[in-house]
Amino acid sequence: MGLKRDVSLAAGLRYRGPAGYLTFILHRIGGLGMGIFITMHILASFFGGRFGGTLNGIYEHWAFQVFIYFCVLFHAINGLRITILDLWPKLLDYQTEAIWIEWAVFIPLYLIAVYVIVRVGAGG
Amino acid sequence: MEITVKIFRYNPEKDQRGNYVTYKVEAHENDRVLDVLEYIKGKVDGTLSFRRSCAHGVCGSDAMRINGRNMLACKTLVRDTGANITVEPILGLPIKKDLISDMEPFFDNYKKMLPYFINEDPIPENGRERLQSQEERARFDETTKCILCACCTTSCPSYWANGEYYGPAAIVSAHRFIFDSRDQAADERLNILAETDGIARCHTAYNCTEACPREIKVTKAIGEVKMAMITGKLD
Repeated sequence: MGLKRDVSLAAGLRYRGPAGYLTFILHRIGGLGMGIFITMHILASFFGGRFGGTLNGIYEHWAFQVFIYFCVLFHAINGLRITILDLWPKLLDYQTEAIWIEWAVFIPLYLIAVYVIVRVGAGG
Repeated sequence: MEITVKIFRYNPEKDQRGNYVTYKVEAHENDRVLDVLEYIKGKVDGTLSFRRSCAHGVCGSDAMRINGRNMLACKTLVRDTGANITVEPILGLPIKKDLISDMEPFFDNYKKMLPYFINEDPIPENGRERLQSQEERARFDETTKCILCACCTTSCPSYWANGEYYGPAAIVSAHRFIFDSRDQAADERLNILAETDGIARCHTAYNCTEACPREIKVTKAIGEVKMAMITGKLD
């Protein structure tokens, strides 16, 4: 008798983890986003024609590019942080600082790119 | 002050699923959440079930999710939670009743780490102890503090996703013996941790370190075991 082990996605996301947990979630979203992008790209090339053109239209849209650039850039920078901390565990004492540095690198790079994408995409 | 306490309730004899019951009680800001639960059980609703033993942060019995984060109820003050408190069982383990989780899967993983001293050499002739330097002892001091409350393991998203993963607490207990200069089974433990459900499932989410009521740097300990596995060095 009793409730079986069950951790829903909603329950997991409701957990009030530290800053590292937010980066963990965004890292997964980034990976998922890249997976969706690559899948769409392959399907567009494989099928071509009208269907391929529609897919092309989606992932070449500036709004999608703003999303996918977030995925790629965040996944890369966060992955680099995790790799460095994995290779030098003593640096894990400075995990919080590492996350601040990560955001300090990510935010300006991302905002500059978003500015350029939106300006070009919106025809400015 | 009056506080509102929302508690996860589940009675295996009556309920198909859990639900939340809200209690309004008087509490002092210096009361611990455990005091509030004791008050509710003693004065308001005697059917409420939860584990507690020492009530002083040593035994680790009363690990629960308080306002969405794993904590020991006996180490959490009302002034830190605020007047609205939500209390739920820890995630990732079966629930027996109310706030009581089935800890067997957690201890099964713990036992896999051979959490005991292994040394086949005969006991030294000149004494009853196997001596080690202060530096050698300090190498694993951090991980001796673990009280097996499961706060770390049940805060780990990798463990939520896969209950077969040994989890942070088991790796911490392995660390305690792997880096003990007197122990001789480090390779055996590292081989166990190299298995599919072993240390590779740690993705450095860092929830474990934040959740640990003993302030063990759990992620760092896991990182040290990862490096020991890669390099074969125990320094």
